[in-house]
Amino acid sequence: MPHFPSRIRAAATLMLAAVLFSPVGFSQEPEEQIEPTDSVTTEKLSGAQWLLKMSQAIGQHNYQISLVEQRPGADTVPYLWRHGVFENGVSMEQLSMLNGPGKEFIRVNRQVSVFEPNVAPFSLTGRIIDGPFPTDLLLNPLDLQSAYTFIAIGRGRVSGRAAQQIRIVSRDNSRYAYQLWVDEEKGMPLKMNMLDQTGQLMKQIQVTQLTTSGEPHEFFSRINHEALPAITAVPLSYHQHNWQISYLPVGMSEVKRNTHRLSVTDQVVEYAMLSDGMVEVSVYVMPISASGPQNNVYRHESKTLLNRTEGNIQISVIGEIPPQTANKIATSLVSRVE
Amino acid sequence: MIGSVTVNIQTRVKQESFMTQHQENLSAFVDGEHQGDDSALVDALKQDVELQDKWRRYHTIRDGLRGELPADMSVDIANSIAAAIADEPAIVAPKRRLRDLPVVGSVIPLVKQSGQFLVAASVAAVAILGVQNYNTTPEVNEPLMTAPPIAGRPQGGLAPVSLEQTRPVDRTDMATLLEQRRQINALIADHERQLQLKQAQMQDSTVQEQSAEQEQQPE
Repeated sequence: MPHFPSRIRAAATLMLAAVLFSPVGFSQEPEEQIEPTDSVTTEKLSGAQWLLKMSQAIGQHNYQISLVEQRPGADTVPYLWRHGVFENGVSMEQLSMLNGPGKEFIRVNRQVSVFEPNVAPFSLTGRIIDGPFPTDLLLNPLDLQSAYTFIAIGRGRVSGRAAQQIRIVSRDNSRYAYQLWVDEEKGMPLKMNMLDQTGQLMKQIQVTQLTTSGEPHEFFSRINHEALPAITAVPLSYHQHNWQISYLPVGMSEVKRNTHRLSVTDQVVEYAMLSDGMVEVSVYVMPISASGPQNNVYRHESKTLLNRTEGNIQISVIGEIPPQTANKIATSLVSRVE
Repeated sequence: MIGSVTVNIQTRVKQESFMTQHQENLSAFVDGEHQGDDSALVDALKQDVELQDKWRRYHTIRDGLRGELPADMSVDIANSIAAAIADEPAIVAPKRRLRDLPVVGSVIPLVKQSGQFLVAASVAAVAILGVQNYNTTPEVNEPLMTAPPIAGRPQGGLAPVSLEQTRPVDRTDMATLLEQRRQINALIADHERQLQLKQAQMQDSTVQEQSAEQEQQPE
């Protein structure tokens, strides 16, 4: 770990208040229940091979998966996820949020339609629905290798099934690490943990039910393809700003840059998005706010929000990254030189 | 003189009671419990802007009571942001070179195309992890403090604490905190929205290619 400018002073009193919240629920990870009695030997695959097997299974199988997503300080979100491949080559996918007013995604080939209350249905294009699992992990796991290493840990038991655990660790240790359990037989993802540097759970996706079938689920036959909304074209805009980010974690790159307004405050911000395929980080540059300079680090669920004031400019970094990395990104902003 | 005032008051009382009656009917109507002739009320509704507004609000309130409000109430936000931002100056002052000037001409309000990608200003529970003191001498190698681990569900070190609960604040401080909190919420909501837009933009190679020809490209 490179030297970290520890200009961060913690507000210890606030920590104490937080400790008082001690929810019940998951017991501490009963990990690695390896079953030595089970002598079925599978060929020894590397971490990358397991992930490749997983991405193939996700694209080729007919399945129905129930899963829940948990983040610190937030309600558990249950999902239903279905996928079907038809003989004519059409692939269909459904992701449905099961609590509250609901939100439903339906994908037919590369058209993803979104249905939610109070918003007119619309469609985007995508090879997969952007669900709880990072899309790049499901689609192109090998592309993540510039940023992460995959380590096969061994067998375990998840959701009542034999699973292989793969650890996904960033190459420069600047991002959260992941543990992924892949169904040994079917290749489907069963569980994923996001862990911070001290090994605390930041996010957890747990499959509670997995059904694979020869035929696609009959739900898909009820979808009227003509009734799906037309694809909304969102023009890609690019704006040049007078600043640039001189520090990027290994494998992370700038994927977007623009100027827009925050919808809540109408504040105009200069914006850049960084991505490594697993996480996205937003960088905001704006004039200092009326409430004075802010130099705080916040945590919202699994996201870190860091505000830093430099002169009369405020820099904010948000994303599922450790506060140290957010700080390094924020302090690395420099005027653009040519 | 006195008589006319009385008459005025009576008329107003009459109007108000008429209005109140409509509102009560409306409330019952929204809940599907209105007894009697609906058509009179519907007619009144069609003509009365104020009543229409109430009708919409009653529905929203009812949804709220039932916990059915969607995460993104994008109803009126779109209008408020749709204003062009082309005239906004660059936030970081440009260097004195022509090519460094910001490309303001191509600023497109994102919601102009649709309000679909708006994410709500839901109140985000944030926990303060630490305070950066850039103005003081850095203390060497002091680690970023995090709370001790808590057994149980995903913690991330901290359960959410509200800013107000953590220390006593005076009035001006409170205003500052509320303003800060508003900004934090705005940033979190915008981050979520950018993630949604990312899927719309990055996964769509065809749209991207088309628009790439029209849009300003990086130098």
